[in-house]
Amino acid sequence: MAGKSSLDNVTQSKVDGYGFERDGDFDHSSYDEFMSRYLAILSRRSIRWSGIVSKKNRVPRSRKVKRYCRKGIPNEHRPMVWMCVSGAQESMASSPLLYQTILKSQHDESTVEAITIDLHRTFPDNIYFSANGNLRGPLFNVLIALSHKNSDQGYCQGVNFVAGLLLLIVKNEEKVFWLLDTLMNDILPDFYAPDMKATQAEQELLGEIIKWKAPDLHAHLKKMDIQWCLVATKWFLCLFADVMPVETTLRIWDCLFYEGDKILLRVAAMLIIQNKDQFLRCRTFTETMDFFKQIVNNPKITDCHAFLQKCFTELGPFPKAKIKALREECMQGVK
Amino acid sequence: MGKDRMQNGYGSGSEPGSPNGHHPFREHKQASRQSSTELFDLASKVMLIGDSGVGKTCLLVRFKDGAFLSGSFISTVGIDFRNKVVDVDGTKVKLQIWDTAGQERFRSVTHAYYRDAHALLLLYDVTNKASFDNIRAWLGEINEYAQEDVVIMLLGNKSDSTADRVIRTEDGEKLAKEYSVAFMETSAKTGMNVDLAFMAVARDLKMKKTRKPTEPKFNVADYVNQEKKTGGCCS
Repeated sequence: MAGKSSLDNVTQSKVDGYGFERDGDFDHSSYDEFMSRYLAILSRRSIRWSGIVSKKNRVPRSRKVKRYCRKGIPNEHRPMVWMCVSGAQESMASSPLLYQTILKSQHDESTVEAITIDLHRTFPDNIYFSANGNLRGPLFNVLIALSHKNSDQGYCQGVNFVAGLLLLIVKNEEKVFWLLDTLMNDILPDFYAPDMKATQAEQELLGEIIKWKAPDLHAHLKKMDIQWCLVATKWFLCLFADVMPVETTLRIWDCLFYEGDKILLRVAAMLIIQNKDQFLRCRTFTETMDFFKQIVNNPKITDCHAFLQKCFTELGPFPKAKIKALREECMQGVK
Repeated sequence: MGKDRMQNGYGSGSEPGSPNGHHPFREHKQASRQSSTELFDLASKVMLIGDSGVGKTCLLVRFKDGAFLSGSFISTVGIDFRNKVVDVDGTKVKLQIWDTAGQERFRSVTHAYYRDAHALLLLYDVTNKASFDNIRAWLGEINEYAQEDVVIMLLGNKSDSTADRVIRTEDGEKLAKEYSVAFMETSAKTGMNVDLAFMAVARDLKMKKTRKPTEPKFNVADYVNQEKKTGGCCS
C-alpha cells in the first residue's frame, strides 16, 4: 500500500513534482491513470540506465545511448546525461572560469532591463519562481551571462522559459548556462538571432513537412489562412517549455540534447498530424487557431511515453539531406 | 435594430484572420464544437502592440475575463489570440484580439499582420519613460505597415501607479494630438477605461459598416474623450 500512497502524493497534490501549481481544473484522474503506468516504465528505464552510467558519472555517445535517450532519461541522471551528450560538459571543462568572470563584468544596461522585466513573468505559477522562491536570482544570472557571451544574439524572449525549466531540473546555474550556450551555438544556431530569420524559416519548414507528410491537411490549413509563425513561434523558441506538460517537454529535451533540432520538427508535425481529422472539421480561421491551442495539452500529450514513441514510429523517416534542402529553401523565402 | 444586422455576417468584410482579405465569413460557426457557437454580426481584428512589459496581456485579460491577478502574468512569446463578442446597441461584434510580444526583434514577425487589422491599441507604461519615448517608433512602424484607415488608440497603461508615474497625462495627450490618434489612460489593475478602449473599437467598426451616407462620421477620438474617466479616482 506504500506504493499507492506515494502515487497519491504525486498525483493528488496541488503542486507537482517540479513546483508548478496545478490549475483548479487539473485532470487528476487521467494523470493518475497515466502515472500508474508510467512509474513502472520509469523504474524499468532507471535500471537500464544504471547499467550504462559509468562510475565517474559519465555517459558516452553511442547508438545505444541515443536509443535510451529516445526512451527517456531518468530524472536523477538528466543533468549529467544532457551535459555529456550535448557537449556542454566539454565546453564547461575547457573554460572553467568563464561563467563567474562574466557575472562579475559590466553588463549592457538595456539587456539588464529586458531580462529584469521577464523575471517575474517566468513561471509565476511555480513555487520556486514566485516572489518568495529562490530561483529568480539564478535565472537572472544565467540569462545575463548568456546574452553577454553571445552578444550578437542578445536576449530573446522565450529563452527565459527554457532557462527556467533547465534550472528546475539541473539545479546548477553554471551548468544551465553551458547547456543554453550549447543550444544557442551548436544545436540551434541562429534560432535566437535578432533578425529571427532562422526561426521563421524553421516554421515554414514545419509547413513543408506537413505538406510532405499530410498534403490534404496542409491544403486545408492553407485554405483557412493559417500561417505557420502564428502557430509555432512559441513552440520553437521555448522548445515546448510552458507549452506542453513538463514531463513531455523533458522527454523532448532528452532527444534534443542528443540528436539536435530535428526532434522539434518531429514533435510539431506529430502534434498537428495526429489531430488531422479534427483540423479538417474546423471551418474558420478562428476555430482553427483555437484548436491549435488545445492540441498541445491534453491526455494524449500527457502520456509522454506513448506520444514520443508515436513521433518516431508514425511519421516515417526524416532524412537529413531532405530536411537540409527544405530548410535552405525556406531560408531563401524569408524576407 | 434587427434589420441592420447582416445576415450571417456576410458582406461585412473579411474574416479577421485572413491576411489576404478574400474570405468572407463562413456562416455562423458550427454548432458541433461547443467553444465556438457564439453568433456575431461583425468581426474585427484588433492588435495590441507596444514595448515589452507595458501590460498588453494584462489589459486583454482584464477585458476578456474581468480579472487582474497581480504576479500571474507571463511574457508573451510570439502572438496569442483571444476572442470576445460584445454588444454595440444590439449588434454583436466579435473582437478577435491579437496579443503580441513586445520585444523589438518580434516586430519582424508581427508587423506583417498590421495590414488587415481594423484597430491597433498602442500601449505605453506611464511609469516607464522608455516605453513612452518608443511610441514615435511604433507609430512609424504603423504608418509603414498598417492600412490607412486603421483605428489607432494610444493608451497610457498602469495609470493607477501614482507614486511611480513619470509620464504625465498631458504628455500622452500632446503626443496623441500631434499624430491625430485617440488617447486615454488605462489601468488593467483597476479596470479603468479598459472596456471603453475595446468598446470604442467595436463601435467604430459598427459605425463604419452601418452608417448611412447622410449621417455624420463616427470619430473614435472624440468618442473616447467624451466617455473616458480621468485621474486615479473612481474608475
